[in-house]
Amino acid sequence: MIGYYLSLAIRSLRSTPILSSLMVAAIAVGVGAAMTTLTLNYMMSRNALAEKDAVLYAVQLDSWSATQGVDNPSEMPWQVTYQDAVSLLRSDIPTHQVAMHLWGGPISVEGSEIRPFVAGARVTSRDFFALFGVDFIYGGTWSEEADSSPLQQIVLSEETNEKLFGGENSVGRSLNFNGALFTVVGVTEHWQPSPKVHDLNNGSFNNSAEVFLPFGLHRQFEIYPWGNNNGWKAEEINSYEDRLNSDVVWLQYWVQLDSPEQVEDYRDFLTAHIRGQKAQGRFPRPLKFGLTNPSEWLQLNEVVDGDDRMLSWLSLAFLLVCLVNAVALLLAKFLRKAPEAGVRRALGASRNAVFSQHLVESGCVGLAGGLVGILLTLGGLGLIRQLQMGYMDRVAAMDWTMMIAAIGLAVLSSLLAGLYPAWRISRTNPSVYLKTQ
Amino acid sequence: MLKMHNIRKSYRTDTIETHALRDFSLEVNEGEFVSVTGPSGSGKTTFLNIAGLLETPTGGQYLLDGEDVSSLNDNQRSRLRNEKIGFIFQGFNLIPDLNLFDNIDVPLRYRGFNAKERKKRIEKVLEQVGLSARARHLPAQLSGGQQQRVAIARALAGEPRFLLADEPTGNLDSLMARQVMELLEFINEWGTTIVMVTHDPDLARRAHRNIQVVDGQVSDLQRTAAPTAVEIA
Amino acid sequence: MLELRPILSALWRHKISALLIALQLGLTLAIVSNALVVIDERTERISRPTGVAVEDINTFGYLAIPKDYDKFEAFRLDLDMIRALPGVASATISNHVPLSGSGSSSGFYTEPNMEVGATAANFYTVDEHFIEALGMNLVAGRGFSPEEIMQVGATSSERPTVAVVTQRLADEMFPQGNALGNAIFRGGDDHPIEIVGIVERNLGPWPNSPIAGRGVFYPAIMDQWFTYIVRAEPGQRDAVLKLVEEKLAERDPNRVINSDTLEEQKDQYYAGDNTMVKVLTAVVILLTFIVALGVVGLTVFWITQRQKQIGVRRALGATRTAISRYFLLENLIIATTGILLGFAAAQIFNGFLVSEFNQPALPLTVTLACALALLGVSLAAALLPALRAANISPATATRSV
Repeated sequence: MIGYYLSLAIRSLRSTPILSSLMVAAIAVGVGAAMTTLTLNYMMSRNALAEKDAVLYAVQLDSWSATQGVDNPSEMPWQVTYQDAVSLLRSDIPTHQVAMHLWGGPISVEGSEIRPFVAGARVTSRDFFALFGVDFIYGGTWSEEADSSPLQQIVLSEETNEKLFGGENSVGRSLNFNGALFTVVGVTEHWQPSPKVHDLNNGSFNNSAEVFLPFGLHRQFEIYPWGNNNGWKAEEINSYEDRLNSDVVWLQYWVQLDSPEQVEDYRDFLTAHIRGQKAQGRFPRPLKFGLTNPSEWLQLNEVVDGDDRMLSWLSLAFLLVCLVNAVALLLAKFLRKAPEAGVRRALGASRNAVFSQHLVESGCVGLAGGLVGILLTLGGLGLIRQLQMGYMDRVAAMDWTMMIAAIGLAVLSSLLAGLYPAWRISRTNPSVYLKTQ
Repeated sequence: MLKMHNIRKSYRTDTIETHALRDFSLEVNEGEFVSVTGPSGSGKTTFLNIAGLLETPTGGQYLLDGEDVSSLNDNQRSRLRNEKIGFIFQGFNLIPDLNLFDNIDVPLRYRGFNAKERKKRIEKVLEQVGLSARARHLPAQLSGGQQQRVAIARALAGEPRFLLADEPTGNLDSLMARQVMELLEFINEWGTTIVMVTHDPDLARRAHRNIQVVDGQVSDLQRTAAPTAVEIA
Repeated sequence: MLELRPILSALWRHKISALLIALQLGLTLAIVSNALVVIDERTERISRPTGVAVEDINTFGYLAIPKDYDKFEAFRLDLDMIRALPGVASATISNHVPLSGSGSSSGFYTEPNMEVGATAANFYTVDEHFIEALGMNLVAGRGFSPEEIMQVGATSSERPTVAVVTQRLADEMFPQGNALGNAIFRGGDDHPIEIVGIVERNLGPWPNSPIAGRGVFYPAIMDQWFTYIVRAEPGQRDAVLKLVEEKLAERDPNRVINSDTLEEQKDQYYAGDNTMVKVLTAVVILLTFIVALGVVGLTVFWITQRQKQIGVRRALGATRTAISRYFLLENLIIATTGILLGFAAAQIFNGFLVSEFNQPALPLTVTLACALALLGVSLAAALLPALRAANISPATATRSV
């Protein structure tokens, strides 16, 4: 019977092209608006570390001032100080642990045609790749020694290796970074989490690092991070060493704790660390630290900001108006066809049959609306990409899930919209329409 | 075939209750051709709607083909209507968007026949009413008489035992009316029970029996023709 | 002659359809009026005076390829060269660029050795050309002299003794208006920094932050964070951008140059607000359009349904105007009902936006203006079908089928 209803629906919709296109347009615009914002929110709240969500933790320490807490939802600094990072790295409790920050510098290869360019770098301890699940195409991470002493080793991203060495195995090759000679020890596979859950400090959706550098280089290069530096204390800083030992926070710290016992032990470890620091006059606030899983970390950092959420609500309200519109138009259309429904009833169609027939017709409107809605969504996302000037390119894009969701939303919407009109027409007394006056 | 006993039908609006039928009792036998006449508002149409299972009576008993239909739900009533009853209307009530073939197809679809069976039946009835060549035409492309013949074909396609006609010739000129009437008589001779509501006393007289409805009641029963033992084909 | 009673009873028979239209208008009013206040707030935000010559400024930075690079020497040579180029009005070097989204801030006090109750402000390290180069307006005191400019390494503890501040910071820290000549202090520090000049306005690197507009300028050049800020003569910006970039690379090819217009950076910074404005504007237009289509669709439908009735009325002597008026009046009743609903919905929706998303409150006047506009749209949408209805021939009444 569905096939029959479908052919009737198509015939009926084609017989009133203007009204039909109005309905399709109403649904399409509503779905387009809703799906544009929902796609943005969905893409923004994706968790690239979902697979390891249960075992990864962002570490926060409340090293802030006695008089004033940090004004963010976690009420703790997002990052840790260098001195704390170095102390935490000494723990052997976590399976993996990473202290890291953003940096960058000019990069070039001797004798290469490629003009020197500025590469975004992540200065990190060697566990980074294991902890975040970044695989290597060639080579691997640097030696343990490189995390504490200045070994000029470098890991390239797939893209950077492509750019500098044409994608071949460059392990053992030399390149120039920030005025010094580095040896390539590894090339990672493409790794571009969006949002950048591992470091949400400077834009959640921009590019990940092009190169990775060992944690032992700070003193040799007097590295000043490119990310955020936040301090609260008036400190006398006369040397780079003073800066490393200051209370300025500028490093992200992550640990992998695979078992509850490990978590327990690590909590004790952090507590002991803070107590020790308190004894030395640091950590003036009440003892507090944070261990946060990636999914919660994204929420805590409000990656999907108020404007985005507001737009979603607004677009849902918009969809509601479009639906009310569709209900009104469907009702008009169905009532106009009431005599036909009356004849069908007389010829043996049950109420349910009439109801189903009209619901199928609404569903067709929804399907068409959904398809057009996908186009509008793609257009809407294109507009957002343009308005956001490149910042949102990676999130303002539809994947298959969202395309199917768009059609689903459209069909569901129009079935909802068609519910009342179809019910109404199926309940109409047929005899009224059979008598010609 | 049809047996109504003390059927009542009343319509309520906010203020008044109108009685369309009161203690309406009637029996129609298998193979009969019954005409129903009466002044406007006498309840003819209400009777037809109840007989055709389009409306439910407020009270009384209605047996169709020996089956008490008053307690059936909509699905069952619709099936019964589809299988046993054919409708012919004054306004033809063809579906304007569908061509003749698809119009006749409608009741067969609800019956659930397969495509082959439907095609066979449609072609057969179209031939019976002499419109085979027009199967792909839209109703608007036909004359009134042709439209009514299509409507009759549609009513017959499901081979109903019981045909309800509401002023079937009301919109037709006399020549066409005669043709339609002859078609109905032919159908009746082949065994289909027909109940026809009409204004036209000449037509009414051509039925086996005429029933006068006045004020929602059967006023008089009179045979207009000798009771016939119709041979069932 | 107002035929309200028959209209109302006819509407009552179509109450669901009428209610659906009213509902659409109501929801639209709620959304549109709230969207408009947000659009208004964001537009105002974007178009606020920045205090700097946004249209004429280019910024340039570089990263040296050799490790031990004498940046201070390079600054001197670069800036001398830039200032001599045609089309360049002025140039300075600064640790940060206003409106760029990247900057430094610190807490300031009016008393020494304080640790609580700081006034947070953006700070810049600049050379003596900064007022000129940024196109700011000095309203009191003086700028910096060349001798005052310190060369500061990332870890040098040398502290400035003078500063120029923005009017807003001066007013907030010294409400008596005696900022000029007075000193400000860093937290936990007894080193006074004398305010020698006040500039009219500078929104700072983060115009949407609460500290926007509070600015402190130090006479210093830093080698760790630096950008050349170059103001071009009016209309010359793009030519200057290309020229300076070329000349910088030419003077010393051993570095990677980056450049940008300040306008681009400002647009980047406001991209979110701009998106909001554009998206909401699209929402307002589309919504109005959809509702108008809905009104047209329904009016046309009703008129087709009542074609015969209209014919009868015409046959009984109703004028064309009377017919049109009937449908317009019907529309007016529906629209008014919807808008009354919308008033309530708008307030509820706004309450949600205010509490949940910190959006501006919705003034009644805005709702009222939107309501009138929507009423107009609804009537306009009904006008064409209503006029067409008036053309229905009285003969319709006499035709039976």
